[in-house]
Amino acid sequence: MAKIKLSDYAKVARPQNIDEIMLLAERLQGKTIKMVNSTNTGGGVAEMLHRIIPLYNDLGLKVKWDVIKGNNAFFNTTKAFHNALHGKKEEITQAMLDAYVETNEDNSKELTFEEDYIVIHDPQPAALINLKDKTKGKWIWRCHIDTSHPDPRVWDFLNKYVSRYDASIFSAPSFAKELPIPQYLIYPSIDPFADKNRELSQSEINDVLRKYQIPTDKPIITQVSRFDYLKDPLGIFETYKLVRKHVNCRFVYAGGTASDDPEGTQVLHELQERAANEPDFHILLLPNFADVAVNALQRASTIVMQKSLREGFGLTVTEALWKAKPVVASAVGGIPLQVIPNFTGVLVHSAEGAAYQIRYLLNNPAVMKKLGEYGREHVREKFLMTRTLRNYLLLFLSLQHPGEGLIKL
Amino acid sequence: MKVERAKEPFCFITSSMLVEITGKKAHHLKEFIQMLKQIDESSIFYHVHRVFREYSFAPGQYSNDFARWVAEDLEEGTLAEQLASINLRDYTDINSLRAKLVDLVENYLMNAVEIRRAPAGREFYFLRSLEVIIPTSHTVWTLKEFCDALNRVGMRSLYYHFFDARLRLGHKTNDFSNWIRTSLDNEELAQKIDEIDPYFMTMDQLKEKIISLCCEIKEPSVPSLATLFVRLAKQFMGKKKWPR
Repeated sequence: MAKIKLSDYAKVARPQNIDEIMLLAERLQGKTIKMVNSTNTGGGVAEMLHRIIPLYNDLGLKVKWDVIKGNNAFFNTTKAFHNALHGKKEEITQAMLDAYVETNEDNSKELTFEEDYIVIHDPQPAALINLKDKTKGKWIWRCHIDTSHPDPRVWDFLNKYVSRYDASIFSAPSFAKELPIPQYLIYPSIDPFADKNRELSQSEINDVLRKYQIPTDKPIITQVSRFDYLKDPLGIFETYKLVRKHVNCRFVYAGGTASDDPEGTQVLHELQERAANEPDFHILLLPNFADVAVNALQRASTIVMQKSLREGFGLTVTEALWKAKPVVASAVGGIPLQVIPNFTGVLVHSAEGAAYQIRYLLNNPAVMKKLGEYGREHVREKFLMTRTLRNYLLLFLSLQHPGEGLIKL
Repeated sequence: MKVERAKEPFCFITSSMLVEITGKKAHHLKEFIQMLKQIDESSIFYHVHRVFREYSFAPGQYSNDFARWVAEDLEEGTLAEQLASINLRDYTDINSLRAKLVDLVENYLMNAVEIRRAPAGREFYFLRSLEVIIPTSHTVWTLKEFCDALNRVGMRSLYYHFFDARLRLGHKTNDFSNWIRTSLDNEELAQKIDEIDPYFMTMDQLKEKIISLCCEIKEPSVPSLATLFVRLAKQFMGKKKWPR
């Protein structure tokens, strides 16, 4: 596949937005940027960096990407941090904190920071800020985690580092904390040219449906999520039963489960048990990196659901909206930022509510079409990767003008 | 379209916003009103204009974020309607708009039987924007060039010249009317554009409306008496602007 260039995005975003990005980048010519995270494969951050860095290069900005190294003790600690920041109870020992500090110190000796802007992603490399006084650049901490209800011990520990940055970025207003540094809002975004979102031919869609044995004889209602109680797979099955009393349709619950996640396997088995006698309730265990399959399932669906009990930003909702699908979703996490009730989708609070809305939509195709159109436009304006790119450029420019609310260039 | 060259060119500017989280959040109306009284002007400006800036494709349901929060998360329908009905065209500075908002909420609270709390996670988060403005390459001298450029510039440029301008200029006009009035001497068109109510249309509709007015009123074929009077007065007094 040919390399995607910034100019290609003018076909999917408003072309004027791309012109404006170029105007902003002109004011940053000659500046250098460094991105630092903890992995170069797997995970949303690495995926985003792989796709966005070539766009910076297209704009004439030099971006270097470094990945910190660590041993098992370090990554076990940062995994526990991750869970604790999400509000899960974790035991954090002094040895774990020591492992975190030592690994960051070791990486400090190996990495150099000569760039104008240094963007540190997530908690793993946050302690690299100890090098700040020896560098000329502006340091930014980008938090990709939902930190709305963190374990205070872990947050207090990290806060010692975070509060020394020049600026921070959070994905939703509710994720922000009380910090002495500016906190900016940059929503996560999707790449319309990634396998999960790119246009698919009908034959590509049909191949996936054939592979997973999903007939297209009835409307399809789909949720793509991990097998996790917080995604409410059992609630989806309840919704299915309520809808099926009135409308002939199929439900698809498609997701993966990590091999080291015993709860995921338990959830999958429980759902399979409940749906054992329901041929129109399809449970798909997808392998890792099944991006084209997810894309095809979303595109083949009449309605996409995201009936989570808790959610981060909810990029699966963004993906569905981009495909102009009517979305029925819970009002949790970042979903209300995307689903504006009865405008870009429908928000629900229960299986009964979800079933009622699905029945309503299936009987009103014109409403589904309108929701889908507005949903796609909403994503086009706010949640495409070009918007993230623009926001980063704005942040870099603003750091050249600290304290100014209106910057005239 | 007959071309008439302006005395001064019009340079389109674009404005980009970076959103800052202030860290202030209100759980209920009492907290909300305390914060509203003290919050930066830029925060109020952001929350009342965000909808117009971001929903260029369809008219939104609520004219501002305050009304949306009160309606959806507090389910206080009456107050939401009052907040949504504020006519932003009546305000040329943020502090008088703030006073109106405070007044509405305080009056509502005086008769409120209970103070409702927003559900967890649905509190009102005060945001504010940091604005970066840059001149574009579109500089025009005639109405035709103006319309062509308006078709090519982004919505952020339209927003800057139409919405932002009212507060920047401190009176009820916009940059387009200002230029058409002072550099093209076309008072009739300037006034027609001034009269557009942008708060009930999308940015796309606003752009089309301005262009259609420019096509309709290319030049003041028969100047109004008021226009003639202003021109004569300017010549007589040797001033560019009629004193306010």
